[in-house]
Amino acid sequence: MIPFAWYLLIAAALFCIGLFGVLTRRSAIGILLGLEFMLNAVNINFLAFWRAGTMQAMSGAVFSVIIFAVAAAEVAVGLAIIISVYRSRRTVVVAEISDLKE
Amino acid sequence: MNWLIDNILLVVLFLPTLGALILLCLPGSKSRLLLWTALGISLIPLAFTVVMLLRFNYSAEGYQFMADYQWYAAIQSSLKLGVDGISLPMVLLTTLLTPLAVLASFKISQNLKAYLILFLLLETGSLGVFVSLDLLMFFVFWEVGLVPMYFLINQWGGENRNYASLKFILFTMTGSLGLLLATQLIGVVSGTYDLVQVVAKWNALDQPLFGIPIATVKTIAFWAFAIAFAVKVPIWPFHTWLPDAHTEAPTAGSMILAGVLLKLGAYGFLRFVLPFFPEQSAHFAGALAILATLAIVLGAFGAYGQKDFKRLVAYSSINHMGMVVLAIAAAAAAAGTPDAASAVNGSVLLMFSHGVAAAGMFFLVGVIYDQTHTRDLTRLGGFWQKTPVYGGILIFTSMAALGLPGLSGFVSEFLIVSGSLPVFTVLTAVAMLGLLFTGLYTLKAIRDVLHGPFNVEWAGHLNDISKRETAVMVPLMLFMIGLGIWPRLLLDIINAAVKHIF
Amino acid sequence: MMELDNLVWLIPVFPLIAFAVILLFTTRKRVLSHSIAIGSVVLSWLASMIVVVSAVLTPDFKSNPIHLEIPWFTTGDTPFVIGAQVDALGALGLFFVSWTVLMIFIYSTGYHNFGQPVGDKDQPGLPPQGAAYKEHGKTLLQPSVEPMYGRFFGIASLFAFAMFLLILADNLLTLYIGWEIMGLCSYLLIGFWYAKPSARDAAVKAFITTRLGDVFMLLGLAFLYARTGSLQYSVIFSHETLSSLTSQGTGIFGLNAAALAGLLLFIGVVGKSAQWPLHVWLPDAMEGPTPVSAMIHAATMVSAGVYLAIRIFPLISSGWETGAPLTTAMIVVSSIGAFTALFGSTIALTQRDVKRTLAYSTISQLGYMIAAVGIGAPLIAAFHLLTHAFFKALLFLDSGSVIHGMEHGQMHSGEHGDAQDMFRMGGLARKMPITFFTFFIGALALAGFPLLTAGFWSKDAILTSAYAVPGRIIFWVLVTAAFLTAFYSMRQITLVFLGKPRTDGAAHASESVKSMTIPLIFLAVFAVAIGWIGIPAAFPLIGGHVPDFLAEFLGISAEGEVHSNVPLLASVIVSLGGMLLGWLTYRSQKGTEKDAIAVIRPVYNFVQRGYDFDRLYNVLFVRPAKWVSEVFTAKWVDRVLIDGILHTVASGALALGSLFRKGVDVPVINGGADLTARGIQRSGAGIRHVQTGQVQQYMVMSIFVLVIAAALALVFIV
Repeated sequence: MIPFAWYLLIAAALFCIGLFGVLTRRSAIGILLGLEFMLNAVNINFLAFWRAGTMQAMSGAVFSVIIFAVAAAEVAVGLAIIISVYRSRRTVVVAEISDLKE
Repeated sequence: MNWLIDNILLVVLFLPTLGALILLCLPGSKSRLLLWTALGISLIPLAFTVVMLLRFNYSAEGYQFMADYQWYAAIQSSLKLGVDGISLPMVLLTTLLTPLAVLASFKISQNLKAYLILFLLLETGSLGVFVSLDLLMFFVFWEVGLVPMYFLINQWGGENRNYASLKFILFTMTGSLGLLLATQLIGVVSGTYDLVQVVAKWNALDQPLFGIPIATVKTIAFWAFAIAFAVKVPIWPFHTWLPDAHTEAPTAGSMILAGVLLKLGAYGFLRFVLPFFPEQSAHFAGALAILATLAIVLGAFGAYGQKDFKRLVAYSSINHMGMVVLAIAAAAAAAGTPDAASAVNGSVLLMFSHGVAAAGMFFLVGVIYDQTHTRDLTRLGGFWQKTPVYGGILIFTSMAALGLPGLSGFVSEFLIVSGSLPVFTVLTAVAMLGLLFTGLYTLKAIRDVLHGPFNVEWAGHLNDISKRETAVMVPLMLFMIGLGIWPRLLLDIINAAVKHIF
Repeated sequence: MMELDNLVWLIPVFPLIAFAVILLFTTRKRVLSHSIAIGSVVLSWLASMIVVVSAVLTPDFKSNPIHLEIPWFTTGDTPFVIGAQVDALGALGLFFVSWTVLMIFIYSTGYHNFGQPVGDKDQPGLPPQGAAYKEHGKTLLQPSVEPMYGRFFGIASLFAFAMFLLILADNLLTLYIGWEIMGLCSYLLIGFWYAKPSARDAAVKAFITTRLGDVFMLLGLAFLYARTGSLQYSVIFSHETLSSLTSQGTGIFGLNAAALAGLLLFIGVVGKSAQWPLHVWLPDAMEGPTPVSAMIHAATMVSAGVYLAIRIFPLISSGWETGAPLTTAMIVVSSIGAFTALFGSTIALTQRDVKRTLAYSTISQLGYMIAAVGIGAPLIAAFHLLTHAFFKALLFLDSGSVIHGMEHGQMHSGEHGDAQDMFRMGGLARKMPITFFTFFIGALALAGFPLLTAGFWSKDAILTSAYAVPGRIIFWVLVTAAFLTAFYSMRQITLVFLGKPRTDGAAHASESVKSMTIPLIFLAVFAVAIGWIGIPAAFPLIGGHVPDFLAEFLGISAEGEVHSNVPLLASVIVSLGGMLLGWLTYRSQKGTEKDAIAVIRPVYNFVQRGYDFDRLYNVLFVRPAKWVSEVFTAKWVDRVLIDGILHTVASGALALGSLFRKGVDVPVINGGADLTARGIQRSGAGIRHVQTGQVQQYMVMSIFVLVIAAALALVFIV
């Protein structure tokens, strides 16, 4: 059997990679990618904990399914926004989209 | 109907305010409408006052037409109203002079609506002082009466009106500061602001208050009251606001100022100071009498030295109110004796008589001023030729102010002198000197205005007194001669109260 | 007695109604005005005569006077009443007042030129100047009617009311009322021609001088009231009250209460009857029309003073008995009276104006009466009051007639000059016979021509009483005054009527109208006859044959009279001698300038100016009074001192206020608030920079905070 802890480690590692990506990628799409990583990491976490306990309750799996759905929706919306922004700004570099500056 | 009689004082008191509200809703451009409405409204309290006079119970002790309305139960202060023989003549004076003042104001052109509203509010304020039997309400109405007067002088007055109005209101308010504090003290200590109860409770106090002996507390309270009223009367040396205020006020304003507002102070002495503080009053009566005599003498001298007609009449008010206070001081010093009764009778009658005569005199000054736009006595002269009726009325009113027998001033002066002479012999004798100068300045005014060769500066510009102006003077003259011939018209009412109180 | 009671109170009421009606309604209508006035006075006269006759006919009248009263007002529990009474003295007063007032009213219609046309240049307030008319192609002037005709009668009616009220009063309060109203009428009538500055000033002078006396009188009234609790004659002059008052000391000049009250009231008399030192108003009062001078200043108003003095005699003489030395109060009164008698007569000697002579003569004669009161003979003073009222009124009205005649003459001849200057007259006896005859009778009465004139009897009575006073100073003073009186009376007659006219005006003078001369005749009859009611029983030859009505009526007792012929002799010699001397000195008067007795010009001028009392009073009282009023009180005390204090307080308050504003409000409170605001603004500006718009940065910061918060939570909560 694969030790339980390794699942969590994978999840953690994925999460951190995703976080790093969100915080440092120049492009907005890159940030979205990072966000996907984080969401998937969370998924793995959920499933790992579900598998580790009794699998009587369906909640863990359900959570993951919901997260899939939400992540997909979110990416769709996010891409739509980025395309809209690209159309008006001709750029997807977040550092240049700082209209909410002070 | 019954409700009207039961609450007659409330009606009399607040009808002018109601009238002011009605006026507020009328268009400001229709002067005639405003004036006649104001006149009509101000005549109603007069009618009610006459009703009260007719229903007056001469043998009852205490207050009549009493009514009590809840106001501020938490501090035991209510709107308690009532009149007795001393305040009813004053109510009559106020309700009589206000319509006359309105009638005198037919020539005001700017802001007539505000002007009339202020007069009606002033009437409520003055009436409130005279009919309140609650200390706190008394103070409220006392202060309420100041504000309309300030604006009347400030907006419709003469050249120096800013100075005069500010002096008037600041001086009077400063005097009233002590009044407020003392009122609060008395109210708290007695547990109520009801006049009748306070007199009993306050006089019954004999334990030290707040660690201070009761006599000291009472003395301080006495002076607080006394100074507030002294400024209003005015007693020398607190009198300097009067010449300025009277001179700069518009004619009708001076009529009310001299006719009614000055009496508020003297009334305060009679109603509050003497009953609340009998020992202190008796103790300090001498000082009060000295100041009153100074007012009489210096007021007369001051009047004689004036070149401005209106200022001369203003100083004459100081002179006459000095006599009123002299009598009050004598009554304080000799409480309980027939002399005190004479003195108070005389002083209240003089208050009424002077109110009528002074209002008349100020109005007559105004009549001349309206035509010549000057009050400088050196520029007037010889008017009797062109204005015989006016001359006759002026002489008549001056003689009433002078105290000629047959006119209202004499009986009051005689009562005052006969009441004060046994108590303050030397001071009364000195006050007689003031009486001599009263004659001097009155004749000086008549001489400079009516006698002598006609000053051709006014040729063609001078008309005799108009019908409306005569209509203002006629009620006043009727009172002057009526009271002179038959003083019992008012003296019976006054005496009914004086017999019991003093 | 019922009808009589009603009549008594009606006597003053008739003229009062006339006054009200005339002044309110008929001032413009001449006929109506004088008819109402004269009608009312006639009614009063009628009523007075009925009362007097019934009084005379009532046996023992002096013990049962007529009496009525109405309650006036009440103070405390004491009532004050207006009351009327007619006792012997009152009846006497009613008699002469009603007669003289009636005569003067009738005279006034003629004096004010009733029936004459209205003058072209006449204005109310000035004496009528005359109306032009054409005769033989020349434009001449004739006298014009007085513009203020109606008003005169109105005020005169009020005056009559006041005088009657005073005579009829039964208490001092009612008397005082009449007294003061008379003062007012006197002021209005002296200043009748108000547009004349001299008249206007004279009116003020009269009012103020008498008011000074009145002020003291009021003090006396109040004093009496305080000590006795009443002002009724019946109470004050009752035996018990008097003795109690006499026993109370007052600490003032050692006077007892009665004497003090009496003297205070007497000061009022001094003012009203123009005694020294309050005499200065009477000569100037001649500015008024002559009927005014006659009525107010000869027959009635000044007599009111003497009347009061007689009434209060019990107070003045408290503690005195016949034959005893005079009390302090009596000495004061008699000295002032005697001094004034002499004083007035000396000035009368030097006057050029016919009316002013009479004015000073009045002052002098009143002094006689006051002196009589002072020496303990009040009822004899009443006798002289009676006779003097008639002959003095006669003299004044005569002088008015003379002046009218002179003015007429001046208008006729076109001359201008003082129509009242005696030195411009002369020879008027031929031109104005009735006036001359009546004037002569009046002058004789004034001089005390023996036996045939009323003045003799009353003056002789006074001299007899004065002779009885130990020391006799007063007697000799009065005798000297009598001599001077006779002298100036004859001086007047000689200058005005005898000899030849000295000016054109006098040459063209003519007699006055009947409405003026008929009253003169009536008064002249009285001036002769009225003295005969008082012939003393002790008089040589005649006395005893004609009963002494007056003594009986008034109750003058003859006991204790020291009988001597000296006073009688003195009065006869003095009167005849003075008259002779006066005639001799002036019968050859030529020219209008020189006065024969002006031997030492400066002295003459000084006396003529009344010993310069006017100037003295001006310096002593008038100017200081003006200074005190205008400079001291109005300026220094009020504006500089009191207002100065006020303004200092105000500036102090203003300075304090500014101090607080600049020192506390602005830096501390305002500054503090501003500082806070700016601080926040600055910190805000600083913190604002956090907002970079960079999403990733925001995310870093939030994660950072999250981590820290979690760490803290772990530490503190778990």
